[in-house]
Amino acid sequence: MSNQETVVSALERRIDMSVPLADIEKDVEARLKKMSRTVKMPGFRPGKVPFRMVAQSYGPQARSEAIGAAVERVLGEQIQAQNLRIAGYPSIEPKEASGTEALEFTAVFEVYPEIVIGDVSAQEIERPQLEVSDAEVDKTLDVLRKQRTTFAAIERAAQEGDRVVIDFTGRKDGVEFDGGKAADFPFVIGAGQMLKDFETAVLGLQAGESKTFDMTFPADYHATHLAGQTVQFEVVVKKVEEPKLPEIDAEFAKSLGVADGDVAKMREEVKANLEREVKRRIQARIKERVMNVLIETHPIEVPKALVQQESQQLAENAKRDFEARGMQTKDLPIDASWFGEQAARRVKLGLIMSELVKSKELHAKPEQIRATIEDFAASYEDPSEVVGWYYSQPQRLAQAEALVIEDNVVEWVVSNAKTSDVATSFDDLMGNAA
Amino acid sequence: MSAFKEERLMQVLLAPQISEKATYIADKNEQVVFRVASDATKPEVKAAVELLFKVEVKAVQVANVKGKEKRFGKMIGRRKGWKKAYVCLKPGQEINFAAGE
Repeated sequence: MSNQETVVSALERRIDMSVPLADIEKDVEARLKKMSRTVKMPGFRPGKVPFRMVAQSYGPQARSEAIGAAVERVLGEQIQAQNLRIAGYPSIEPKEASGTEALEFTAVFEVYPEIVIGDVSAQEIERPQLEVSDAEVDKTLDVLRKQRTTFAAIERAAQEGDRVVIDFTGRKDGVEFDGGKAADFPFVIGAGQMLKDFETAVLGLQAGESKTFDMTFPADYHATHLAGQTVQFEVVVKKVEEPKLPEIDAEFAKSLGVADGDVAKMREEVKANLEREVKRRIQARIKERVMNVLIETHPIEVPKALVQQESQQLAENAKRDFEARGMQTKDLPIDASWFGEQAARRVKLGLIMSELVKSKELHAKPEQIRATIEDFAASYEDPSEVVGWYYSQPQRLAQAEALVIEDNVVEWVVSNAKTSDVATSFDDLMGNAA
Repeated sequence: MSAFKEERLMQVLLAPQISEKATYIADKNEQVVFRVASDATKPEVKAAVELLFKVEVKAVQVANVKGKEKRFGKMIGRRKGWKKAYVCLKPGQEINFAAGE
């Protein structure tokens, strides 16, 4: 067998191979013989079918199997002999000019890139710093209060922020249209739930009052038969309700899960939660930065096959995600190519990280895994049960392990790179301006 | 040209009978087994085989095969009977069914 390897590009390899036809013929015959002992055919008892008939009906199948096996074997030998690490599946093309005594084919595949751990010491990593103070706790409590707003009926004209309960009937050219009628319909003025014009019209009305007004739907309204049309609405206000923010008192504390209603204790708890959240976000920031650093310092080429696999995986995930949200994915063409860049990045990171873990001994230690899981569990009501749940499922455990490895890598990079502490504002870190 | 109409000969042979027994006697006596129309005669079968497979036939033996009796509960039914023809070819002749025709 003459085999020849050529390097196509940095990662792509091409191997020309040939297998003697005689070998294949022998293999075909052996396969057919084995088959003829069990094969069934009408008119014959199993195993009594003449060999010639078996060869006639199963010959092509046996032949392609034999060729496949031979190719695989030869390729395997080559890979072993040359110590190649193949990424993805090799694609095999038969050569057209195959001779009469040997089958020639070409295998094209990609190998894993050689990764040299780069120098991260010149890279700078910012570490956001933030102390959770009373101001942050107050802010969070404000958000919580807003979420628990209650409405109380009041005798006055409706204002911005009030909730009104109305009956309304919409007519276009004197005829009621679809979806233009509702009774006891509550909405909050200014929340953007209704069209702006509609809300403005209701403003200033008292309970028991009614009003008839013309309104033009915006041209880009989602119901096409109404878009841009002018209609007449008749509105009867049944109730005007004023928003009431709950006071920060024992009642409020209880609703947040502090059983004895101690306000100080509630603040403590909110603060602890915030601190945990801040820590998590800071970690995430650092991690992201570290990943960027890794990619910048390791300019490697990634095997296309792996990227393709990864992007297909991502597309699958996205599809499942949509399905979980109850969307029809059939008419939603999710193409794997959309995820190309993301997939390339993930593959790259995966390769770099696994190399780092191998060369720097950053494997997850059992006690680290334990600590991570306990950390997860801390925010649940019954931590020990959560811990047990994690340990009972190898899949969950693997997840925790992956996290630990990631953390180890981050730690290693941080300790090897230049770091600077940067004070960050709370809103900036939380990514909202609440 | 034989004494039979081609139209009739096309309807005589129904199918080759492929079985353990058929392959056994094919090896032993240079015979080929066919299912033929129930009203076919030996000369008709001979002419039909010579016409369709372009071979020379030495002799034809025929047998009427009785259909099997089959029961479904208390009902007794009978499968159709059929005529089997053993066609003996002249030495050196062969019919290759896989080649079609």
